[in-house]
Formats: sequence, C-alpha cells, structure tokens
Amino acid sequence: MKLSPQTLAQAAFRLREAGIFIALTVAVLLFWARANNFMTIANWQDIATDVAIVAVLAVGQTMVVLTRNIDLSVGSIVGLTAYISSDTLAHHHGLPLGVVVLLAVTIGIGLGLVNGLLVTVGRIPAIIATIGTLAIFRGLLFEITNGQNVLAFQLPERFLNLAARKPVGLPFLAWIAIAIAIAGAAVLRWAPWGRDFYAVGSNPDAARYAGIPVGRRVLTAFVLSGALAGLGGFMFAARFASVDAVAGTNLEFDAVTAVVIGGVNVFGGSGTVLGAALGAVLVATIQDGFTLLKLSEFWKMFFNGTAIVVAVTIDALVTQRLQEALRRRRRAEMVAAREQGAAT
Amino acid sequence: MSLVELRGISKAYGGVHAVQDVSFAIAAASTHALVGENGAGKSTLVKILTGVVSPDEGAVIVDGEPRSIGGPSAARRLGIVAMYQDPTVFEDLTVAENVFAGRSPRTRLGAVDWKAMRREASRLLEELGADFAPDAPVRGLGVADRQLIEIAKALSSSARLLIMDEPTAALSLQEVDTLFAVVRRLHERRVSVLFISHRLEEVSRIADTVTILRDGRHVETRPAAELKHGEMIRLMVGRSLDALFPKEEAEIGEPVLRAEGLTRRGVFSNISFEVRRGEIVGLAGFVGSGRTEVARCIFGIDRLDAGRLEIDGRPFTPRSPRAALRRGLAYLPEDRLRQGLIQPMSIERNVTMAVLPELAPGGIVRPRRERRLARSFMERLRIKASSPRQIVRSLSGGNQQKVVLSKWLATEPRILILDEPTHGIDVGTKADVHRTISHLAAQGLAILLISSELPEILGMADRVLVIREGRLVGELSREEATQEAIVQAAAGVAS
Amino acid sequence: MRRVGLGVLVRWETVLVLLILAVGVWCRSLSPLFLTRVNLLDLATPYIFIGLMALGLTFVIIAGEIDISVASILAVSVVVLGQIYEAGANIWFAALVGLLVATGLGLVNGFLVAVVGLPSLAVTLGTLAAYRGLAFLIHSGEGVASFPTQFTNIGIGYVWGQQVPVALLVFLGAAVALGFLLHATRFGRYIYALGANREAARYSGIPVTRARIAVFGLSGLLAGIAGLVYVGFFGSSRADAADGSLLDVVTAVVLGGVDIFGGSGSMVGVVLSVLLVAELRNGMQLDNIGGDTQNIVIGVLLLAAILAGNAIRALQTSGLRTRIARASKKEVVRTAGQAEGTT
Repeated sequence: MKLSPQTLAQAAFRLREAGIFIALTVAVLLFWARANNFMTIANWQDIATDVAIVAVLAVGQTMVVLTRNIDLSVGSIVGLTAYISSDTLAHHHGLPLGVVVLLAVTIGIGLGLVNGLLVTVGRIPAIIATIGTLAIFRGLLFEITNGQNVLAFQLPERFLNLAARKPVGLPFLAWIAIAIAIAGAAVLRWAPWGRDFYAVGSNPDAARYAGIPVGRRVLTAFVLSGALAGLGGFMFAARFASVDAVAGTNLEFDAVTAVVIGGVNVFGGSGTVLGAALGAVLVATIQDGFTLLKLSEFWKMFFNGTAIVVAVTIDALVTQRLQEALRRRRRAEMVAAREQGAAT
Repeated sequence: MSLVELRGISKAYGGVHAVQDVSFAIAAASTHALVGENGAGKSTLVKILTGVVSPDEGAVIVDGEPRSIGGPSAARRLGIVAMYQDPTVFEDLTVAENVFAGRSPRTRLGAVDWKAMRREASRLLEELGADFAPDAPVRGLGVADRQLIEIAKALSSSARLLIMDEPTAALSLQEVDTLFAVVRRLHERRVSVLFISHRLEEVSRIADTVTILRDGRHVETRPAAELKHGEMIRLMVGRSLDALFPKEEAEIGEPVLRAEGLTRRGVFSNISFEVRRGEIVGLAGFVGSGRTEVARCIFGIDRLDAGRLEIDGRPFTPRSPRAALRRGLAYLPEDRLRQGLIQPMSIERNVTMAVLPELAPGGIVRPRRERRLARSFMERLRIKASSPRQIVRSLSGGNQQKVVLSKWLATEPRILILDEPTHGIDVGTKADVHRTISHLAAQGLAILLISSELPEILGMADRVLVIREGRLVGELSREEATQEAIVQAAAGVAS
Repeated sequence: MRRVGLGVLVRWETVLVLLILAVGVWCRSLSPLFLTRVNLLDLATPYIFIGLMALGLTFVIIAGEIDISVASILAVSVVVLGQIYEAGANIWFAALVGLLVATGLGLVNGFLVAVVGLPSLAVTLGTLAAYRGLAFLIHSGEGVASFPTQFTNIGIGYVWGQQVPVALLVFLGAAVALGFLLHATRFGRYIYALGANREAARYSGIPVTRARIAVFGLSGLLAGIAGLVYVGFFGSSRADAADGSLLDVVTAVVLGGVDIFGGSGSMVGVVLSVLLVAELRNGMQLDNIGGDTQNIVIGVLLLAAILAGNAIRALQTSGLRTRIARASKKEVVRTAGQAEGTT
C-alpha cells in the first residue's frame, strides 16, 4: 500500500476541521446535559448573535495572521467605533443606518491603516505595534466618551430593533456575519491579492522574488482587519445598545482564539475563513455554555488562553512531524533507489 | 544565430576577479553545460545572466542585441530564468498556485481563474511527465517534484533559457532520468538549458556543448561529443597554487579520532576513517556530497543514525556541540556569518564565546583575562583591529574568519575540523590561515580539513579522503593525490 | 570605531536622563509639591512592580523572545499568596510559594518555546489569557486585605529615618543584581549571544535550550517578586492585579534602549526608562489626566522608541557599509603587496 504524500497532507487538513466539529459536539452535548435551557431556540439565537461579532472580527484577523502578523488592537477599534456609532445616532436620530455603518467602517480603515503602516513602513513587530495601538485607541475612546455612556433610551427605535430582527429565524447580525464570511472566503479564494496573503505568509522572500508587493499586501490585511473591526463595532452597538468606554475589551482574544483553533497557522500561510468561522462558533458556543452553567466569566479567559496554546502546539507537532515523516520517507526512497541503481 | 552570447565578461569583487574575459555562446534549443571546479566562476556567470549582479566589462547579447540586465525581473522579461538548487516554493500553496505565483491567470472580472490555472498547470505538468496533480499541496512533495514545478513555472512565463544549477544533486537515478527526459522535451519548445553540474557523466549524457571554466577564465567550449572525461578533468584542474604557505613537517602519532560506519539516513552512509595526532586529513568532494554533513554530525549538531566514534580510544557519542567541545573537538563551520560569528559583539567576546565555562569561574566573567586571551590571539593570528573591543561586524572577511578560528583555538582542541577555512577571504589572510593550520598540526593537533579548493587540500593534507554522494569513494596518500585524481574520484569517473 | 558603538549607547542613556529632567521641569510647573524630597523618592513606588517585571522582560527581549504574560503571572502568584496566607500559613511561606508558582509558570512558557518549539509570541499570548483566567479560578473574590505590616512594608514601608521607600530599594537591589547577571556573568553573555545569533550560539557550545527556558523562568520569578511588592503596596491580593500594566512594562524595556529584535540593550537604560515612565505617569496624575488617556502618551512613547531605534540602526548600517567597503579596499591593496612578497 502506498499513501501518496499529497493525500497524507490533505488528511492532516481535514483532521483539523474534524477536530473542531468533535470539540463542538462534545461541548454541545455537555452543555445540553448540564444546562436545561441550552438547547432552546432562543439560546441558539443568542449564540448566533455572539458568534456574529466574533466571526466578523475573525475574518479580518484571518487575513492578518495569514500574512504572518497579528492584530491585537481590534477590541479597542470595536469599542471606539461602537461608541462613535451609537453616539452619532443618539445625536442624529434621523441619520440613515447605512451612513453610520460607513462611518464606523471608515474609522476602522483609518485605524487599520495606522497599524499597517507601523508594521510595514515602521518595521515594528506586529504584536508590539498593536499592543501599543490597543492602548492608544482605547485611550482615545476614553477621551471621546469623557466618562459618558450612551444608553439605550437615547437611541432611535429602528437601531434597537436591528439586532432583534430575525429574518428566516436567524438574527440579522448573523446574516451580516455570514455575508462577511462569504465575502472574506471569496476574497481569499478568488481575488489575486487575496491569494497573495497566503504566499506572503508562506514564504515572504519567495513572494518578493515572485514580484508580489509584500508590504502593500500586509498593509491591505491590516486595513481589512480594521475595517471589519469597525463593522464589528457597529454590530456591537446594535447588540448591546448601551455602550461605554470599556466596550469590546478583550474581544481580540476571542478573535485570535477563533482564528487559531480554526486552523489558521500562526506562522502564516495556511488557514481558511471557514475554519476561522467554525472557530468563532466554537468559541461563542462554549462561552454561552459557561454563562448558562453560571461558571465565572474567567473560565472564558482560561479557555481562550489554553485553547490558543493547545491549538498552536498541535499545529506545530502534527504539521512538523508529518512533514518530517514525509521528508524522511522520501529520502529513504531516494537512497533505496540509489542503492538499487548502484547494484545494477 | 545564438540565443544568448557572452562577450568578454569580467567581474571583480573587492579587487579579486571572479570571472575574467569570458566569452561563449548558447545556441537555441540546446543544452549547454558549464563545468569547472568550485570557485571557477560559474555562479558569478549565473548571477550576471539573471541580473543579480552586473558585469564590470563585456556584454550579454540576447537575440543578437546587447542587453543590460538590470535585475531578475528584467532577465525574466528576456526569457532567462534560473532554477536554484533549493527551489523557492510556497509550501502551503498548491502546485498550480506555485507555478503561477504572483501572476495567476484572471477571468474577465479580474478574479483568479482557477480553471485556467489548473488546466494550464496540468498541461505543463503532463508535458513534463509529472505524476502529481496540480491541486496537490507542495508541502508533501520532494525535491525532484519541486524542480518540475520550477520548470513548469519557467515555461509558463515563456522562458527561453533555463539555468539549472546542480539540479541533480539531490535526485535519485530514476529522477535524473526523468529530469533529462524533460530537458530534451524542452528543446522541442525551443527552450535552451544552461546545465551546471559536477557530475561529468551526466554532462556527457545530456549536453550538446560544454564550456569549461577555470579560475574565472574561459578555457574551452566544444561539442560534448568531442570531449572525453579525462580531457574535461585536465582542462578543469590545474589551478594556480598561489600564495600557499609551505607545510611544516609534523610528526604523525597515534590515532586521535576514529570514525566507523557513520550513517545519517539519506545524507551519507558507512563513512569510516581516522585522524592521527599531527596529521592533516583532507576531506574532498563537491559541494553537496555530504562533507559538511559528516562534520556536523561528528560535532553533535545533527544526529547520526548509525556508526561509532572514538576519541583517544574511548567511545564518544556526539550529543551536542557542548559535549563535543568537552571531549576536545572543535568545528569551524562553513558559514562564517550565520554559524561562526555573533556580529554585533566585540572581538574579545566572540573569541571567548566557547570557553566561557573556563573563563568564568563561578559563572562570573573576568574581563581582564578575557581581554588578555583575545589580545594573545590577535597577535598570534595577526588580526587587524584597533582593539579587542572592536565590533566584529566592522571587520573585513579575512579578519572575521581569524576571529572565528581564534574562538575554536581558544578551546585548546585536540581535534580540529575546518570547513572551508579560507572561503571568500583575501590572499594574504589565506596565507596566514594556512600557516596557522600547519603550525597547529606540527604541535600535535589532529586536523580534518574540508575544502573545495584543491590546491589547499593538496598543499596542506597528509592524506586525502574523497566523498561522493554520501559515500567515501577514495583515499589518497600525499604522494598519490593530484588534482586530477581527486576530481576523478569526486566526479565518479573512471580514468 | 569603539567610540561609535559606545557613543550611541551613551547618547541614548543621556537622552533618557534629559527626558527625565524635562518631564521633571514640567511636573514642577504643575505642582510645587513635586520637587520636594519626599515626592521625588516616593514617585516611583506605585510603579515599582512594573519596573520589576520590566527587569525580567529585559532578559527575554535581549534573548530574542517576547513574554507578554508577565502581568498574568503576577496575578496568579498574588492570588496564590493570598489564599495560602488566608489558610493560616506564615506570610513568608506564602510569599515563597508565590515566587515558586511564578517561576514555574515562567518555566512553562520557556518549555513551550524552547522544547516544543513554538513562537514565544503565540505561547505568551495564550498564557496571558490562560494565567489570568487561572488567577480568577483560584480565587475570584475580594482577596485578602489584611496582611501583616512587616510584610506590606515591602510595598509601602520606609527605612533610614522613614525617608527611603523599601520598594525603591527592592527595585534598585534587583536592578543591580540583574545588571550584574546580565553584564558580568556567563549567563548574561549567553543571553546576548542567543538574541544576536542563535545558530552561532549553538555552534559555540552554548546550552541554547536550557538558557532559553531559564530566561522565561527568570521573567516569571521577577513577576513573582513584583507580585510581593504589589501586594505590599496595594494591600490586596485580587486576581485582577496588575491588569493593564503590560503596556508600561513593554514600554519601559523598549524605551530603555533594548532592541526589540534581540541581541542588545543595557540594564541602566531600562532602569532609567522605568523611572521616566513612573515620573511621566506621576506628572500626568498631577495634571489630572485620566489613566486611559495617559495610555495614549505611553503607547505613543512605545511606538516612537522602536521607530527611533529602527531609524538609528538603519543609519548605522549604511554608515558601516561604506566603512567596510573602504576598509576592504585597503585590505586588498595591502594583501596584494604582501602576496607578492610571499610567493
């Protein structure tokens, strides 16, 4: 029997998605058994709304991580744009929601551009750059809010109804997330520059040699991540109605966890939006379960952190071992062939 | 009319000529082999053709017109593409995407045209006789397969001259056959191949024309059919023995290092030899033959799969460089900048790097002792620097190499493995290094000298081991060793 | 040439001193109380725990890695300390266990990085969340509030006629000890070599794996010591301890002139920049600027420090290249003459 290298490698990819499904099934069964209100339509609609926000952020984060970078500032961008969205609506009741979305996304693009420029032109490692901007953006939010909250009663009805609307039984926000995920997947699949993200993360030097504008692609990834965080901010405001200066804190962890357990390699170069979206479903479902089981929300943090470490470890061990095994076998074959050749 | 012609090409680095007044022409739809020893100037010519460096003098003529090749992309536009020994692939992407990296076919809407990409890749691969699908991820593919991808890539960008630098180094016999079949098929597409190889048998098999370089000069260009192996070798060797330090006579004593059946699967197998006190053993062979790999395993950097090592008659298991150092082994690595030096550190800190345990009793470094040690080596090896505190990065290549050598000599080794100790350094420093090596042997060190420069091996070694494709294929005494004999063994050619 | 290398260092540290003086003048203009001796000595006390973590992180970054989990390690050790003390154990025993736990968590990071071979960025991002969660899982309540005075003195006590804060002495003591470890010992040498060229370090017989693990262990230990000062100063052992202090820790290290890509940096620089950050926060406090708005300033400082470092290095290397070119040209001329002489 001869397993070709390709099939082995493909099997490894499949394994990841299967792993998420198994983890999800186990989690669902566990919560179902322990929390009697878990398996209700209302709860699943709640989960779907939570998934939606995480998933939108995860799509942007996927792009960034694919290029061998990371964006830890998305939680602050969500907070900033959430506040600005609802504050604007509170002062201008008649403003079309489309304009507000555009505003949030534009601000997100600007902030993403800052991140991207720091990383590409400033040559600051992404993690340090976005730890810095995480603090700066949050500080700006505090400046803007000046200690004020936007409360639900200040907001127009149609905005408050947005999150409650459930076309075809699925919350409106989840539809947005699905649309974004499809668009993200399409970009990564069909757009030439989207495919370049993989090349850039897989082998930056070879990418440069192949004539791919590496710096511009990384910049694009950060801008997209910022833009989607801006959209996420609008969704956050729609979901929670009242927004204060700490809105969206630690959301970056949900996004990164979703991406990493979704099989996007932290070394860049491989991973899919589908995986990241599945990761987002797993993250949000488990968090919802924790809440229903009245487990402290810090379980969530513990889960996020442990999941990141475990997923990265598995990635490293499985992928590297697999590759090593393939190479070794390949080498052994060559030597065997050589010896055979020498004998004849 | 020839496809590409070189006319009077010269290129010097820092005053030393890498190639000098080289002229030859490559015909369309043919295989042109470029042979010569390491350092004969082949890679410089490749760099000139692919626009990585520009020549000091002379012209590159493509399709009868002189062209200045400004860079790799300019070369590609002219249809000149190089395929490197270690293909630059994207492991995470599929075969088809690798073939079309950075210039994927588009649909009318500007999206990636996967169908066209797959169809094109599939057609190219089929034409090349590849047995893998365009959808396969590259991660699992071997070197031969990756080469086919590179060739497909070149074809898809309508290359007309494909430069293959040692393409068969990592291939099995069958894979070589496949590759050659591909090369012949390329001619049908009017594509020429510039084939660079140490394996003269392969050169005779595949090449239409052979150009021989020696010491950066053009020696001969002739139809392959007219050249016998013996003659090729005669034309290749005979480099001038410039500025070589006369070897001191050393008394050769009992064996210090004994290796038996050393094997690292897929890299080298069943290597046995010994090195005696006061003896310099040369380890010759082409780049990629497994010379460096043997040394790395003895020094504990890579793992051995089988074999036994003895130092002074006691068994030695190379677990780590640290363990090797403790048993009196030292290894001057081949890549000075990546493996030898800590560039932002001072001379003294580099020199004492491997002896810190002795130099820092209780873990505390004694700066005065450190400086004294560094000073003594700066004098002994004539390191030109303003002070032991000078940063290594700011030294010339020759002085840097002397710093690395000092680091290893500071450990007072009993066995010294030198991997290309004079690679890329100037003549004067070379002489200094040779003087030091010879002196060390006279003092009773056992030395294993790995070098691509045959004059160096012939001048320094008491005995020469020749390694080819991971096997020891010859042992020559100082009297028997000639450049021709070594190249014959290393190239696997019967005389 | 030596002057060039040292010159930059001296200049960077001079810049820090000048900045400290400039910020001092600004603070003085805000409040006449600022320049009194008491305020000057006390100024750093609330930030000593940040300084201690920065000292540990300095080793990690010079070794070419990153550890963003330090504040979470601090939280775990603080909570463990509180719980053990509350269970009736001796406070010093509890402190010891806290230190051991902190070191252990650091070693876990080190193991994952050096043995399993994961990028330190991903590992410590994960443990940043996991350890913080762990701290809450161990105890999520208010924590112990009544520690014995002899212990809280670490954070708020004074010695020498009630003039000098103990915390400041702890920090300076640790800085001197770690400065010695970094600049005068074999281990310190290993750390620089690791950060500058790990492969060459390995070829030189340096125990690379062990040294990398040790660096993370050390970072954990320092977070533990920071935890003791934290508990002493704030008098509480809550699981949210030091939350949000990562920014200051990283800024202090980078602003101190430690190369974010590893291989260079000095303890003096880090100590100075800890003092600068403390003074700056103090001044902004005096100016009634809120904590999160202060973060804007600190964040900008962090990014500006790296940008400045990158720019300086770019200038240096371009200067160096021309110098080497010149030197090698001379060499060729020299050796050409010599070669003629020998043959």
